[in-house]
Order: sequence, then structure tokens, then C-alpha cells
Amino acid sequence: MNSLRIPVALLVSGLLCYGLLIVPFSSYMSNKPIEEKLGYVPSVKLLKPLSADQKELVGASLVMKVLMYFGGIIGKAQEGKVISEPPDLQGMSRLLHGAVQLDPYNMDAYYFAQGFLTWDAKQFKVANALLDYGMQYRTWDWYLPFFAGFNSAYFLKDYPKAAAYYKRAADLSGQDLHKSLAGRYMQESGQTDLAIAYLTAMEKGEKNQALKKNYQIRLAAFHEVKRIETARDRFVAEHGGLPVSVEQLVQLGLLAPAPIDPYGGRFYLETSGKVATTSKFAFATKNK
Amino acid sequence: MTTIIKITLKGVFRDRVFQGIIALAVLFLFIPSIASLSMRQVTELSITLSLSLISFILLLLSVFLGATSIWRDMERRYSFSVLSLPLSRSSYLLGRFFGLALFLVLTSAVLGAVSLLVIKVASGMYPPARPVVWSYLLLTLLFITLKYILLVAVAMLLSTVSTSFFLPVFGTICTFLASGITQQVYEFVHSPASAQAVSPFLKAVASVVYYLLPNLAGFDLKVNAIYSIAPNLQGLAMTVGYFIAYTAILLGGAALLFNRREMK
Repeated sequence: MNSLRIPVALLVSGLLCYGLLIVPFSSYMSNKPIEEKLGYVPSVKLLKPLSADQKELVGASLVMKVLMYFGGIIGKAQEGKVISEPPDLQGMSRLLHGAVQLDPYNMDAYYFAQGFLTWDAKQFKVANALLDYGMQYRTWDWYLPFFAGFNSAYFLKDYPKAAAYYKRAADLSGQDLHKSLAGRYMQESGQTDLAIAYLTAMEKGEKNQALKKNYQIRLAAFHEVKRIETARDRFVAEHGGLPVSVEQLVQLGLLAPAPIDPYGGRFYLETSGKVATTSKFAFATKNK
Repeated sequence: MTTIIKITLKGVFRDRVFQGIIALAVLFLFIPSIASLSMRQVTELSITLSLSLISFILLLLSVFLGATSIWRDMERRYSFSVLSLPLSRSSYLLGRFFGLALFLVLTSAVLGAVSLLVIKVASGMYPPARPVVWSYLLLTLLFITLKYILLVAVAMLLSTVSTSFFLPVFGTICTFLASGITQQVYEFVHSPASAQAVSPFLKAVASVVYYLLPNLAGFDLKVNAIYSIAPNLQGLAMTVGYFIAYTAILLGGAALLFNRREMK
């Protein structure tokens, strides 16, 4: 009997300690700061030999890591919490660039990278360079030139380039939509309409709920922009000059109900008459 | 030799290796749900995960079974009783090799069938942009199996050299890791960019190492299977030839060394 005392005591005290620690330990792990979660990833030069014959798997896991991280931030923003730090967009970009070097065919990486590099990080050229890289491999995919075309026209205002990208997308997909887009992108007009068309297409095809919600919010904001633009154009037609402010349009009854920015900002008119918002189409972040 | 093959297979099954594989194969059940986290490539991700899992299981098998089978026989003094049979040492070694190779083929056939089922389910849930080409998948499975059979031969060669268990296991793992990058190193030292950075001596060493080590990168067809890209058939035929030649060299070397080896 005596010989059993020590192992039993060890087992019982071990179980007790485990029982006491496991809940705080798991909550510590899940509440780790977001930077730690995105984590440090060694350079691709090192990752490539280390991943041996599992390059596609390692690439996919990098994409998953970024997706989980970004999904967590979007989730917090939707709960109405102010995000304490802006998302680590540079880190996300680094990881996704690494992912496509390991697996240049990984569509998730291109799709995700072009989504946040443009709207959130304002790195339009980086986004298009990445898409160009992807087009060398995914030669059958019309999505990549479709994205690059949108970026060229909407953000970079490079219409001939946009038209070329859309022609490529049209050739690959055989869809007339892209052909007509190629034509429309030749001139700067109806930008908001194009953004709505683009975001609607993105929202429709999205399965990931966090990203879908993200597109829906942005789409709602652009529908509001469209309403203000319509009211502005009516004002111009009636009064022969630009309105002073968005509030003036509301007071004159041209814009009812008053537009609401889903990102929590306030719409205003630039001196050129262009509709802008104080939120810049992104959730408010509070810098440390 | 057929008796040795039978004994080897029986031994592997007796050690409950297959049950261990089946336990790991439970992971296949989770593949469709993990893959559904993907935004644009659910089917592609489930193919990646299935092939990676099979590749990983076969790697473990080839390293541990290949490196331990001869070592264990010696440790347990089985080799005396086996070698007292009217049987040459070479055919004992080859019997062990073919037994393990057969086991790998069996395992990859079973796991391959499971993974095809998983991929079928995943592609049914979210139809992929590119249709899955089943023949590419089968080719990939075949070449994964060949690759690990070659690795078993590496492990066998190393275990005829060493009396311990460590050299064969770690040597095989190192060979596997190195085999994936030798092509890159070779291309780098022979590129004009490296002319100043790499000395001629190092260049010569790198070339010798390149020809000495197995080049397993050619056996990796995962990208072709995942994204339905047609593989180069001529290149594949060459890879099969490479497999036969290299395995023959390894086995021949192993048999020579084993014949000269003193049994304590």
C-alpha cells in the first residue's frame, strides 16, 4: 500500500493543478494580443526548403492565418467595439506575398490580398503587381485581370491599362459584361456605379461570412454615395451650380432620408463636388 | 525472397503499424470542414490537405520502417536464424525492401481511395472553378508512392552501414530535406548571377552533391493535381526511369555492403 502513496499523491496533485490552471490558461491563449497571433513568420527563403514537399500546404496555412486574424478584427468592429490598434496590414501583405511564393497558384491569397491592399492599405500598385504575378500562373483565371482592371480604373485612374485588363478578362471568361466594362473604363464617369457593380459581384460570390459582411457594409456606403450624387446632380440641374454641402441637399428635400455612413463617418462634398466621407470607408481606429 | 517479403509484411501488421495509420487517417474526416474555411478554393484546399496528409504518413512510414527493419533484426538476433536459411544475404535485403515497398503501395492505395472520396465530397459541396482531373490525382498518388519507396532504399543503404538506429533515421530525414532543394542549389550555382559569389571549388562540390543525392523534387506533382494543370508526360517517363536507376544503385550498394558486413 505504502508504495502506491507517492504515485497517487503525484497524480491527484497533478490533476488538481491541471483543473485549476486549464481555464485561465486557455483564456490567456485565446486573448493573446493580435500581433502575437499573426505571429512572426520566417522569410520565404527559409520557409521554402523547410516546407520540403508541403509547399502548397504551408502556403495555404499562411493564408488561413491572415484570414483568421482579419476575421477577428472585422468581428470586433461589427460588435461596435472601437479597435484599439489598426490592423497590421503590412504584416498581412507580407504573409500573403510569402504564400504566393510558396504556391503561386493559390487563389485565396490573391483574392484576399487585392481586397485589403486596395481599400484598406491603399497600396494599389502593390496589389496590381501581385495580380500580374498571379496572371503568369493562373492563366485560365479571369478574376485576376478583372480585379487588376478595377484597381487600374477606380484607384489608379489608368484607363487604357484598365481597358487592357478587362479585355483579357473578357477573353478568358467570354462574358459580355467584361467587354462592356472595358469600354466604360475608357473614361472617368460613373465611378460609383462601377464600384457598386464590382462590390455586388464580390459580395455575391463570397462564402466567408466575415468578408461577406465587410463587402455588404462597403456596398451600403456606396449606395449612400450614389444617392447623394443623384441629389447633387438634380441640384445642379435646378440651380445651375454646385450645392455647398450635403446638409443643404437634405434641407431642400432633394435627399431624404439623410444619408448615413455605415462606417460611422459623415458625408461631405469636396469643392469639386465629389462626394467624400470623414470615415474614408473604413472603421474608426484609435491609435495607441 | 518471397518468404522474406511475407515475413516483412506480417511483421509490419503485427506491430500494429496499420492500425496507427488508420488512427491518423481519421484526420481525413475533418478535411472538408477545414477546406470550407477557404474563400475561393475549397476543393483545391481539400486536395492539398489530402495529398499532404498521405505524403506525411508515407514519409513517417518510409523513414521509420526503412531505417529500423534491418537494425531490429540484428538487435534481436533474428538475422542469425534468418541467414542460416538457404538464402543469400542479398535476397534477404531485397526481400525486406520489397516487403516494405509493397506495404507502402498498399497504404497509399487505401489512403488514396479515402482521399478521393473526401475530394469528391468537397467538390460536391462547392463546385470548383477548374474541374478536378482524377487521372492527375492518381498520377500524383503514384509518384508520391514512388518517392517514398526510393526513400526506403536510402534508409536501407544507411542501415547497412550503421549498427545504431540513429544514423539511418536522421540520415534519411536529412536526405529527404536536402533532396527537395538540391535542384534549386544546382540552378543557383550555375546561374550567371552567382559567378562572383560562388567560388569554382564550391561550384564543383555543389555539382557533385547534386548528382550524389536523390532529386525528389521531380516526383512532386501536387500542383498539377490541385490546379488541374497537365503534367509533362515525357518528363514523367524520365522520372520513372530515374526512380528505377537510382533505386537499383541504392539497393546494389546496400547489398554489397551487407554482404561484407560482419555479424556479431
